[in-house]
Amino acid sequence: MKQTLLSATLDNGIVLLGEELPDLESVAVAFHVPAGGIHDGPGRCGLASLTSEMMLRGAGDRDSRQLVEDLALAGINWSNAVSTTHATYFGAMVARRLPEALPIYADILRRPALPEDQFESGQQVVLQGLAGTDDDPSHRTLLALKKLVFPSPWGLPSEGLISDVEKLTPAAVAEFARRHVRPDGMIVAAAGRLDWPDFVKQMQNLFADWQPGAAEAVHNGPRGGRSEHVTHDSQQTHIAIAWSVPPYRSDESYEATAALSVLGGGTSSRFFTEVRERRGLCYSVSAGYHTQRDFASAICYAGTSSDRAQQTLDVMLEEIERLPNSITDDELGRVKARAKSGLVMQQESSSARAGGIARQWYHLGHVRSLADELERLDRLSVESVRTWLEAHPPTDLSIVSLGRNPLEVPRELSA
Amino acid sequence: MSFRHETLPNGLEVIAEVSDSALSTSVGFFVNTGSRDESDPIWGVSHFLEHMVFKGTDSLSADEINRRFDDLGAAANAFTSEEDTVYYASVLPEHQRAATELIGRILRPALREEDFETEKLVILEEIQMYDDQPPFGADDVCRAAFFAGHPAARSVLGTLDSVRGITVEGMRDYHRRRYAPGNIVLAATGAVDFEDLLETAKRICGDWEPCPSEPRAFPRPPRTCGGGNEVIREQIVREAAALEYVIRFSAGPDGDDPDRYAAKWLAMMLGDESGSRFYWEFIDSGAADYASCHHQEFLDTGVFAVQLSSDAESIEEILERTEEILTDVTANGLTSAEMEQARSKLASRIVLSGERARRRLFGVGLEWAHARRYCSVADDLAVVEQLSGADLGRLAERWPLSGSHATVLAGPLESGSGVREPSATANSKPQ
Repeated sequence: MKQTLLSATLDNGIVLLGEELPDLESVAVAFHVPAGGIHDGPGRCGLASLTSEMMLRGAGDRDSRQLVEDLALAGINWSNAVSTTHATYFGAMVARRLPEALPIYADILRRPALPEDQFESGQQVVLQGLAGTDDDPSHRTLLALKKLVFPSPWGLPSEGLISDVEKLTPAAVAEFARRHVRPDGMIVAAAGRLDWPDFVKQMQNLFADWQPGAAEAVHNGPRGGRSEHVTHDSQQTHIAIAWSVPPYRSDESYEATAALSVLGGGTSSRFFTEVRERRGLCYSVSAGYHTQRDFASAICYAGTSSDRAQQTLDVMLEEIERLPNSITDDELGRVKARAKSGLVMQQESSSARAGGIARQWYHLGHVRSLADELERLDRLSVESVRTWLEAHPPTDLSIVSLGRNPLEVPRELSA
Repeated sequence: MSFRHETLPNGLEVIAEVSDSALSTSVGFFVNTGSRDESDPIWGVSHFLEHMVFKGTDSLSADEINRRFDDLGAAANAFTSEEDTVYYASVLPEHQRAATELIGRILRPALREEDFETEKLVILEEIQMYDDQPPFGADDVCRAAFFAGHPAARSVLGTLDSVRGITVEGMRDYHRRRYAPGNIVLAATGAVDFEDLLETAKRICGDWEPCPSEPRAFPRPPRTCGGGNEVIREQIVREAAALEYVIRFSAGPDGDDPDRYAAKWLAMMLGDESGSRFYWEFIDSGAADYASCHHQEFLDTGVFAVQLSSDAESIEEILERTEEILTDVTANGLTSAEMEQARSKLASRIVLSGERARRRLFGVGLEWAHARRYCSVADDLAVVEQLSGADLGRLAERWPLSGSHATVLAGPLESGSGVREPSATANSKPQ
């Protein structure tokens, strides 16, 4: 498959990435700004989220309403999101509309109005969202787990904490935008029916005279304990288990991902077979790989009715313990087939590719070609996965449960 | 892009939208059956059967089925709705035949008693899982209240009691009646080899016995769909919930009505996640966590579904304001600026979803299964281009948003706090 990957760096540090997918009608563009939740600061958890919310309330000559209307008129399917590390401003559209879209994003990023008279509204939006996540038991379970697994501020919720968001001020938002919404460290990825020279030229005109700021170090604090139970009045109990694995940029991440996929990736995975198919213990059970640049975690999840939660946890722990030394050729073959098919199908989506190339640049400092990725997959062997697992068996597990009653956690894990 | 269609002698139809540039192939079997085809003793059987289909045939075990889908690197799954049960897989083109074969084979499941009992536990877990989540059953209660007496009133999952009561014999009988070849469409989109698809269909499904197809029941739509000003309101109390959730149904065009496009356009102007009336009224100010409007179509009826969530103290005010907006839009229409913005957004979404074979599969397959109709992306765009204020005027006349409706709240709000009792109606017409 022919693949055209492109990149350029502006003098102020903005990295431009492109992938031409000429068979598509659409183009997607994602602006990743280094203004994620880790920069919130103590007692201000949610500042990045609130800032991102405020950034769309008018920019340049456009007031709040005009901005949203202009995005709609250009047919831009837009969204904004804040992760642990980045604030992302995303848009997908019919390709010929891209030149109309870029100046709007330049206004949002470089000339946000951050109107003080709308501060309370913005704050309310974030607070309502936080109350909403309180009603989502699986989400709450994973948030509690993240806090145990990652050191602060990495383990704090990027969407914020109600008690902190209530105390934020317009001045804090303005200061955060000034310090963290900056060209250096920013990645702009575009994929789809893209005219790369025109894109680079327009980006230069819109962004080249933006002065870089200074990157700020993040100081890691302690992580939480080993296990936790959150009392919640629900029919089901939610279980999440995690342990540390190598980050994406490590060469061993392919082995780690493959092992987790055998454990809980597809419908033939160990979890699905043993927990759901054989015992009918739950509807959803899975294992996945979650990475930051410098550390990563395996995260397993299941939701099950409270009277069967203990059995579910026990079966999951057995499967985790049994994983080293037991992976077969057939299992690895299926993992490879699923991964390969996922990689190829991504090429059909401008949005998926814009996200994918930006993620790779952030983690690796370059974009891996599809051919390279497929080759790395091919190189995986039962031998290499087993060797890695023997050297890095799942240990130091963290466990969170959420539901009516706490579960019995093996003694060596409870702390 | 080209469209192909053939019918096997036993009645099974095979269709495909073939794209020259796609990198993947999606195939799906669309069975014309869902919760509306159930009766009380088998309430929930369509969805339960969808699970059982993956538990094996006389010659394939459940483990083997799961392994084979994963061997193909398939993104495979299934879903059940009020009117459809769909089994599908997205694969690389070289696996089209194997994926089609596998889904075709599992549609003749063994339905073993032991698997039935184990899988029943999974279904009961699924029901409890949804019950723990927003909107805490408000959607099911609203559907039941609005469509009372009509087949669309039934929730897809069923209840804990109804699912416990289903027997394996009841399921086998339902399968025999509803999974007849004349009641199934095999659809494919993306990089499709149509000749091979047809060949596979003949080989795997050609010997399925045609069964005199059981006609679907189309009773008169409920009175709430027939105009008037009937107001139904119900409430579910969940003390521990952080927010109050609302679902509101009013009548809209059915899936065969040309006005269904205008209905989706109107819903976008009212309740899209950005730039809509609801957005500026409730979301921009942070008054509500969520406020949306969607048009949902069935074969013989349709609804405009409004969803809201906010803190419980504000919900009554938000509901009042919602009714004012709906009355205003019904009486005065929308501005040309609103129409143009929504047109641009709708067109852009049609193009974007048209690019993925998997998304196209559902549009193409359901349209054919319901109406024997094929609409290309270009056809859809042409309709959107032509939508006008006159269409909105006609919608307002035929399905006034401010007319009969059912509203259900779920959350910490105490029952009876300024709330009419469940069956109370403001201006109810005689039945």
